[in-house]
Amino acid sequence: MFKYLMLAGLALFLPGLYALGYSIFEGPSAWMVDSRTFWGTPISLFVFWIGLAHAGTLLSAIFLALDIKLDRRTALIAELSTLVCLVFAGIFPLMHLGVVENFYMVMPLLDARGNFANVGSPLVWDFCCIAVYALLSLVFFMTHLKTREIPALDKYRKPMAWLLFPLVLWVHTVVSLDFATAFVPEWCGAFFPVYFIAGAIFSGLALMNLLLCSEGYRVRLLERLQLIFSWFMCAIWVWDLMLKGSLCTSAFIFAGVLPQFRMIAVIRENKWGRIALSLSVLIGLFLERLYIVSPEFGSYAASPLNWIDWGLIAFSVGGFVLLFFGIRRYLSWKMEGAGSYFGEVDGTDLADAEQQELEKEGARGIEKPKKGFYIQPWASEEYHVLRLPLLVGFAIALVYSIWVLSQSVFANVEFSFANIVPLLYPVIALVTTVTLYLRAYFVEHAFTLHRHEKWMAAILLVLVAACAGTFFAGGSSQNSTNTIDSQSIGVDAPISQSHARLLWNARCATCHGVKGNFNEKFVREFYPVPQKLDVQRLDSLGADSLVKVILNGRANMNAYAGRLTPEEAHGLVNYMYSLAKEGEK
Amino acid sequence: MTALANSLSCLIALGCASFLWRKGSSPYRNGALLAGFLVLFCLFTYFAGDISVDPTLEHYPFRMLALCLCLSTTSLSLYRRRYLVLAQALWCWIELFGGIALYYRGFDIAWTRILALLSMSLCSTFLSKISKEMEFCLMVFWLAVWVFF
Repeated sequence: MFKYLMLAGLALFLPGLYALGYSIFEGPSAWMVDSRTFWGTPISLFVFWIGLAHAGTLLSAIFLALDIKLDRRTALIAELSTLVCLVFAGIFPLMHLGVVENFYMVMPLLDARGNFANVGSPLVWDFCCIAVYALLSLVFFMTHLKTREIPALDKYRKPMAWLLFPLVLWVHTVVSLDFATAFVPEWCGAFFPVYFIAGAIFSGLALMNLLLCSEGYRVRLLERLQLIFSWFMCAIWVWDLMLKGSLCTSAFIFAGVLPQFRMIAVIRENKWGRIALSLSVLIGLFLERLYIVSPEFGSYAASPLNWIDWGLIAFSVGGFVLLFFGIRRYLSWKMEGAGSYFGEVDGTDLADAEQQELEKEGARGIEKPKKGFYIQPWASEEYHVLRLPLLVGFAIALVYSIWVLSQSVFANVEFSFANIVPLLYPVIALVTTVTLYLRAYFVEHAFTLHRHEKWMAAILLVLVAACAGTFFAGGSSQNSTNTIDSQSIGVDAPISQSHARLLWNARCATCHGVKGNFNEKFVREFYPVPQKLDVQRLDSLGADSLVKVILNGRANMNAYAGRLTPEEAHGLVNYMYSLAKEGEK
Repeated sequence: MTALANSLSCLIALGCASFLWRKGSSPYRNGALLAGFLVLFCLFTYFAGDISVDPTLEHYPFRMLALCLCLSTTSLSLYRRRYLVLAQALWCWIELFGGIALYYRGFDIAWTRILALLSMSLCSTFLSKISKEMEFCLMVFWLAVWVFF
């Protein structure tokens, strides 16, 4: 079964890969971009996959933390789906930049490059929070996978679940703030954190139910929750409609109306019926992401998606199926076998498995506390495991806050405590997890690592260090005063003004703005801020230098030599002059 | 929104809370009630306040839902302390991140409300026995936070 699914994934992935390559070459003009928000399909796909990525670990962690029984295989599938979704979620923001080779610009590594003015941008928080979440999810998954081999590791799972539970909510909330803190009218919403979390859990439940269908079993609890969340989502859409007067009808039909067919026994008891219901939710929520990211999407009579957009969608879906089932096949021997319940079909086998586990625990002398029995917080096992690492985490977060607020560079930019609050819990969670596992390995000798695992742990530690390094977003931003030597390239046949305008709108307007007064939205976000066009500055640089900058690139400006002819570059410079003159009127 | 409408919203949340988590009730019933209450809170906010001029009302129905969940936890028979802490954490989270979103549009974050909820969440972790009197005190505290902070 997995082999066929992988083949289907490959069939989607390969043409998608071509679309990905083409869109990287062509830049943001290749895919659908909203003319007001300047965000398009890659960001919609990012939000969609990041939502799915949050749901897997969240479900596994919530169920574990709240003592809700979820069998090992289902929990592992949820955790694995998170990791695979994160891979695809990570690709799209890089594409969206349009300058993929400058991807490191999204990493706020100190202020080494001196070009990031906006330290309060949620996109800075995004990178840090998602990086921490990815690392901790990997640790959580690996711990779960190794518990069969090393049972002592089991005692770290529940404390980790309690750490991850708020972290997942926190991280997806930060993703929602990318929208909620912007000034696009459709994105104004202090309720976006709840909205995004509900959407993420809803889509995650649909993905889980779909993956379980491919495994050949079902977990009724997850199906029930999927239906309940569809009601909750409908209620949130009602509020969105009241606030903004618009609704994504297609999303409402796919994710709000069609899931109600689960109430019909014939559909819910049929495997294909369940697959259709889950697919309907996923399609609906993807359409909703498209609608949120690009509000113009909803105003088109026909779909504005072109073949590149469809290719990107095929790339991510095919890639997910290929990678997920590839890893799933590879890890089969670790995910299945004795100790896993193989799912609940009608409820009785789960009860049997639970009974067997209770008997086993009784035989080992483990006394289960009575339901609802009061345990002092400081007497619980989780507290014992977590208290020291958590203390270290809080101490480091405190030191970090004091350090950031005392940085002199922040005297030049608008900055307050609210700007660092979103980073505090990820700092605490990261430091706590590192301390927890270092103590378990070096002090408690709770587990041993094979040679390749030691390498993996070392790589993880390097990633953790890189993560820690990115937490300081940098402060002051100075425009470069470097000058470029001007040497004539002998262009004497500039293109027409209308041709230049078309080129400008397609290639340059995304960053520099249609009228050359740069895109204000980018200033609010994280991107390198382009220069404002004014005649004095253009004169000081000279037309020939500007042509060279367009063709050869400079600092954050990408080279367009292969995509524009020197005549077109010269035409663009002339057009820049006309924009600058218009701006000064 | 007027102070009277704000106080009325407490009563609505209190009334709704009494329908939740009844003994033997199914997840479907509770889920449908929660979604229904959210629609009710949305309608209340829409008609009681002017959402076109006051952006702080954008997350008002969700704050009402969080208050309703906090109040409803007092009637739980099992794991009451755990869900009481979680419901307060949810309320705190809605306030904090809703506040951050509004902060970017020039509104102040309600730090007093957030700190009051955070401290009560931490303190209620240590409640060993939640008597009727303690339930009453908790409810009064939440309503006071709602009305005065």
